[in-house]
Amino acid sequence: MAVTEKNILNRLYFVAGCMFVFVLAVVFKLVSIQFIQGDEYRALAEKRTIEDFDIPANRGNVYSADGSLLATSIPKYDIRIDAVQAKDATFEKYIGALADSLHVYKGKPVSYYKNIIRRARKNKNRYFLLARNISYSDYIRMRNFPLLNLGAIKGGLIVEQTTRREHPMGGIAERTIGYERQDENGNFTRPGIDGAFGVKYLQGTNGKRRKQKIGNGQWKPITDYDQVEPQDGYDVYTTIDVNIQDIAHHSLLKQLEIYEADHGCVVVMDVKTGEIKAISNLGRNKKGGYYERLNYAVGESHEPGSTFKVMAMMAALEDKVIDTSTVVDTKKGRKSFYGRVITDSGNGYGEISAARALEVSSNIGMATIIDEHYSKQPEKFLDRLSSWRLDKTLGVAIIGEGKPDIPKPGASNWSRNALPSMAYGYNLRMTPLQTLAFYNAIANEGELIKPRFLKAVKSFDKDIEVFKKEVLVEKICSDQTLSEIQDILKNVVIRGTGRRMYSETFSMAGKTGTARTDYANYEKWRKDKKYVSSFAGYFPADNPKYSCIVVIHQPSTKVGFYGADVSGPVFKRIAQKIYTDTPIIDEVETLDFKDNLVNEEFESYFENARKYKALMPSVVGMPVMDAIALLENLEIGVKVELKGNGVVKNQSVEKHQKLQTNQTIVLVAS
Amino acid sequence: MIASSHSADQKVYEIAKLTNEVKEMRSAFVDKRGKLMQLKKESFVEAEMKIKGIGISLNPPTKIIVKSQQQ
Repeated sequence: MAVTEKNILNRLYFVAGCMFVFVLAVVFKLVSIQFIQGDEYRALAEKRTIEDFDIPANRGNVYSADGSLLATSIPKYDIRIDAVQAKDATFEKYIGALADSLHVYKGKPVSYYKNIIRRARKNKNRYFLLARNISYSDYIRMRNFPLLNLGAIKGGLIVEQTTRREHPMGGIAERTIGYERQDENGNFTRPGIDGAFGVKYLQGTNGKRRKQKIGNGQWKPITDYDQVEPQDGYDVYTTIDVNIQDIAHHSLLKQLEIYEADHGCVVVMDVKTGEIKAISNLGRNKKGGYYERLNYAVGESHEPGSTFKVMAMMAALEDKVIDTSTVVDTKKGRKSFYGRVITDSGNGYGEISAARALEVSSNIGMATIIDEHYSKQPEKFLDRLSSWRLDKTLGVAIIGEGKPDIPKPGASNWSRNALPSMAYGYNLRMTPLQTLAFYNAIANEGELIKPRFLKAVKSFDKDIEVFKKEVLVEKICSDQTLSEIQDILKNVVIRGTGRRMYSETFSMAGKTGTARTDYANYEKWRKDKKYVSSFAGYFPADNPKYSCIVVIHQPSTKVGFYGADVSGPVFKRIAQKIYTDTPIIDEVETLDFKDNLVNEEFESYFENARKYKALMPSVVGMPVMDAIALLENLEIGVKVELKGNGVVKNQSVEKHQKLQTNQTIVLVAS
Repeated sequence: MIASSHSADQKVYEIAKLTNEVKEMRSAFVDKRGKLMQLKKESFVEAEMKIKGIGISLNPPTKIIVKSQQQ
């Protein structure tokens, strides 16, 4: 037995020993985890359950001058389905109902949705797109569709939320309001105001906050303050007037459609402040529709054509080389300059005054004036243009302003013919906005102002930055030149090339322009004539409030191409809109007019009304309006039937007769 | 300690819920605002009224201002 007992004891010692070693190993491991590798593991644990979250700053809004929203950020959703996730039975049960819901929501037939989802399941598509870029309310609706309402695990619903920039005004002024977009290489495109002021004002700075995982996919902030506070972007208030913009957009669109033009733009500027009230740029797509394609008004530098004659004329007037009555011979519509023939439309105008040459937009007239007086000293003419800053960009806020090109002697595009060509707007380049700024200076008594798109930058109600008008040139010319050119521009619409736009009710002043474009290959141009039709000016002609330029590229010559016909109507519509929107104000001293006739009539009516309660009064000779009012207000309720209108001639009941309740009285009037 | 931690968690869930609600409201607001702006545009009104034979006036409205007698 003793042997057995000892055996057991030995085994016991062995097991206990093993256990002791085991415990030692455990303690060793514990100590090594806790102290040797402790820091490493603690950091790892923290990394898994604690994270620094970016708190995205809200991008500021873009507003119009009257506070309408032009651009804002709202959450948008992409809805996808993991077509493989749902079990066969579940899938079959709900697929019909889901297709039906999609049909009601998106319009295509039920069978279509059934097919595409089935195909996605067959192809093992775990990321099948159902709807892109939908609003929150639509997302809530879709989330409750059959199958999708089972959630991600059972139904396979996948939701992705992104913040998108929305333009509540739709396609209007889209290019000027702008956006900011990043491509896959991280490069930004930034058109318009949103683009130009995105980094500086709108975007704000993201904040940071440390959070701990608590389950349900939620994270709890560890501290009750943010590590870095986010700073929301500022709001940008533009100078755009929604109402003028709307009219400008639609009247431009209408003309582009009528003339099947390639593209066009219109800009409306406030004369005194330089604020851009409306800017619309429409280009044609392949299907012939129009949309805001590029900011032509700001970016496209082109040969202005006849609208530039005004600058040439003003230079000559200001240098006193001519006056408005100087006679210029425009011949019979053809004249050769240095071996190159310049023509006028029609058969020429013969000998006319310089002012008249501009009114009828004579190429020969302007070329003759400039060539005659500046050919020996082209620098004098060019210096004049330079003093008006016509050779420099305006420096507007929007990125990508087109550069003007006015050649100088020695340049590759300078020749003896350059000067006469420039006199009627060829051989030089300007953007519509630059031309407009100059016309605005004429309207603004010679003060050249920089066009601007921004009124203020605000954070809620607090002004961060307020933009004031920027004067580029205090006075471009003498008051005499100014009033002479203003008279000519007024006469262009009354009796010149713009006479078809003339309106009796409101006044406008401006200059038409019809320029050839794409004419480098003359033979090709002759077969397919391309023009740029424009109109630049201001309204009303006296005390101008707004200046405006309309440029339409490549109208169909089958329909028409003259500036006054193609671009003029857009200008006129805007001028008319602003005219009809401004009430005519009449002031009167008092409302207490004493008119004896009115008083007498009122007295007799009042007396009748008091006298007759149940007897028939005499209403013959009374206006129908009064007669009915009198009869219907008797104490006895009677019915009045009326034949004709005007003054009562005959009454069916004799006067002073007693009336019955509900009796019908017939009045004959004429 | 545990109770207060749970109540803090509850707050987080509630905040998440409210944030979503704000998003919804905002989205609805912009949606409706956009619709309203389309509806009140002059060009839209013009097209709608054309059916009824009403066009844009060629003359501006006249405002009559009565000068106050007290001043």
